[in-house]
Amino acid sequence: MFWLGGLSLSLLSAVSFGILSNVPLRTLPAVGLVGMSGWAIYRLATLEGLAASFATFLGSTFISLASQTLSVRLRVPATNFSVAGIIVLVPGSTAYKSMLAFINGDYLGGVTLGAQTSLLGGAIAAGLILGLSLFRLWKGFVSRYARNARTRAKTD
Amino acid sequence: MLIGLSNELVMETCLLAGEIMLKSGAETYRVEDTMQLLAGSVGMESVHSFVTPTSIIFSYRAGDEDHTRMIRIPNRTIDLNKVTLVNEVSRQLVSGQISLQEAYSKLLEIDLKKTLYPPLLLHLAAGLASGSFAVLIGGNLFDFLLTIVSGFLVNLTVSYVQQILQVKLFAEFVAAFVGGIVVLQAAWFFPVLHLDLMLIGTMIPLFPGIAVTNSLRDLMAGDLVAGVSRGVEAVLTALSVAVAAAIVLSFVG
Repeated sequence: MFWLGGLSLSLLSAVSFGILSNVPLRTLPAVGLVGMSGWAIYRLATLEGLAASFATFLGSTFISLASQTLSVRLRVPATNFSVAGIIVLVPGSTAYKSMLAFINGDYLGGVTLGAQTSLLGGAIAAGLILGLSLFRLWKGFVSRYARNARTRAKTD
Repeated sequence: MLIGLSNELVMETCLLAGEIMLKSGAETYRVEDTMQLLAGSVGMESVHSFVTPTSIIFSYRAGDEDHTRMIRIPNRTIDLNKVTLVNEVSRQLVSGQISLQEAYSKLLEIDLKKTLYPPLLLHLAAGLASGSFAVLIGGNLFDFLLTIVSGFLVNLTVSYVQQILQVKLFAEFVAAFVGGIVVLQAAWFFPVLHLDLMLIGTMIPLFPGIAVTNSLRDLMAGDLVAGVSRGVEAVLTALSVAVAAAIVLSFVG
């Protein structure tokens, strides 16, 4: 029941963010799926006992890789997918708690929670960048292999 | 008409494509690549472009003449559909399926296009995104319903204030404030609601997701100026929303 609710809600929120940023209609289902699986990975990792920052990192790496792959498959820019995907990983509650601590005059707690928030934000950024570089590496391999195969075919 | 002059047409087409993409929230490297591919595919030499989030400088060499122009992009919205469409046009032109003239008229058409979804649906989507985020972090059904309303109001306020004042940061501040007040009143009257979860959910459509991802991609691609300025834009947006939320929270005492 928990999983069903969580999965459908993350799907709903990713699709809504897709509509909000005007992604083309034909990519909307894929956008929802990317957001949903990103959330599922994050959730699974936290339930397995991993730290929140590492779980966020895993989720955003997956989202980045999935949006690159889908952008090649569906021939649309990758931003279409990654933008709705990362929203479900945004550390909203830590940012909120940090702000609340500052307002209540608890500056030490505020700084602690603020550092935690920026760690989570950094994890999202690092995951996105890792996915991007992995994809570029893979593409480089593929194009080099294809070029070699073509030259071999020519010389044969 | 500038159709007679081929060089002029190339310049107009490239700049129009770049302008539409940058206005609609594309990454800097994509804008630069598209313009260079377009000009290169019709035989221009030493094509260079310099794109920041607010301006485009573009130059190429045709025969023994140099052509350079610069345009400013005053305001930017987010419309990924237009980015995708321009991408398709440039792909067709480079692969030789359409002529430059056809590409130019297609781009003019894309520029005039309205957003893909009607405004009401956009506001509703913002509300649904808010509501589902509030439940994802631990809210219940009542939180969901109320956060839909406040998210709807937030997006409505952003679009109207933006139209009147033309200052994006202030529009976001006002919208976050309005959403916060609505949520605060509701939590005041119905103690079953969770103020904290609803407040987080309400603020989430204002999160600068596209600015953050684009800034990272720009930095990765080596466009340091564009990446840093987009990053600053994202931080400023987040700050204006945070200040509004902080003011609302200070009413709670």
